[in-house]
Amino acid sequence: METSGKKHRLKLDPRTDILLLILANVVAFTQRSLWVEIAWVVLLLLLIIACGCEKAAGKLTAAFGICLVLQYFIFPNGPKFLAASFTFLVSYARRIFPCLIVGTLILQKTPVRELMVALRKWHIPQSLIIPLSVTVRYFPALKEETGYIRDAMKLRNIRGIQKLECLLIPMMISATTTAEELSAAAVTRGIENPAPKTSMIVMRFGIHDYIFLVIGVVFCVISMMVR
Amino acid sequence: MSNVRTDKKLKGKDLITIGIFSAIYFVINFIFMLCGGIHPIMWMLMPGFIAVFAGIPFMLMVAKVQKTGAVFLMGFITGLIYFATGQFTVVILIFMVISCGLAEISRYVSKYNSFKGNALSYLFFSYGMVGSPLPIWLFKEAFLSQIQEQGMPADYVSAVEALSSNSMLIVLFVAPAIGAVIGIFIGKALFKKHFEKAGIV
Repeated sequence: METSGKKHRLKLDPRTDILLLILANVVAFTQRSLWVEIAWVVLLLLLIIACGCEKAAGKLTAAFGICLVLQYFIFPNGPKFLAASFTFLVSYARRIFPCLIVGTLILQKTPVRELMVALRKWHIPQSLIIPLSVTVRYFPALKEETGYIRDAMKLRNIRGIQKLECLLIPMMISATTTAEELSAAAVTRGIENPAPKTSMIVMRFGIHDYIFLVIGVVFCVISMMVR
Repeated sequence: MSNVRTDKKLKGKDLITIGIFSAIYFVINFIFMLCGGIHPIMWMLMPGFIAVFAGIPFMLMVAKVQKTGAVFLMGFITGLIYFATGQFTVVILIFMVISCGLAEISRYVSKYNSFKGNALSYLFFSYGMVGSPLPIWLFKEAFLSQIQEQGMPADYVSAVEALSSNSMLIVLFVAPAIGAVIGIFIGKALFKKHFEKAGIV
């Protein structure tokens, strides 16, 4: 598709992305050893670099490094209040790091419609796919919206508890209008047609998909074995 | 899915509306989830806090989509995204399903358009997140040793232990109810002030 047109990098099947996300989850929940964690994170980082998210990979590497340094060097030696208030956040961030990496990959390199096709191939009901994809797609829109509302509030010099109301109401109103516009567009395109949907996107598991899934499964097994 | 077998099926427009409001609900939910990391007490009161602020999107969605399955889908999507970010446990899943089920029943009984029915349904829905801190009481020993192994600071663990008394369990279960009532009244006041005038509901 046009998104991967210019520089052809490694392109994973969306289904592989979803499966990797689940595997990352399992590893995050079961692993107890630092080295397994680091190896898994490094591997996933290499994967997203190969897929073309160098910038995001750099940021994530820096964040992971900061987390590790904080937890192993600053917290044991630094002032106590620092450790008490931030350790939870840091160790929590570290735990969800693999999910974060795969999530970044999905958000940046997989258009929502490809995800929809992937889910449809798994025979997930349409009444779940539509709201789910709308939700995922709406997060960036929500962020953008909040930015605009904040600017408007700054202009009008709104402070204190009133801020909350002035943030929530426009958000709700814009959400309802978006819902209306979006559904008008979707209905015109035949969202309510009961016939099975077809797609231009050809979806096939390639050799690299299998390789990464096997690696993921191996890591799951390792993380369960190594204590 | 349970939502397709009724006479009033969810259509494309309803599904999109549910999707958008689920996104807002999830963001509110997530903010308080992060706050839970600061101190265990924030975590235990989290369902209550969420209930206070999530009333508006919930009530608006319920007013827009007066059909079976809307609340269920909202809970399901929230659960699914939490699963994707690596923090969904079986206990939350059970609570989510029960509370969404009760919420759907109370909406069904009240024919979807009564304020009281929707308020009750929101009350039930707010209990969905109680499952997050509940393992502290259910499997106390195992839970404490688990979070210690995962690198939680000793201070946090001991604070959790100190707070895991029976009275806090009551607080955990009362907080969403109080929060939901406050949330509903905030929602109702804002409905009157803004949304009805704007012709949205």
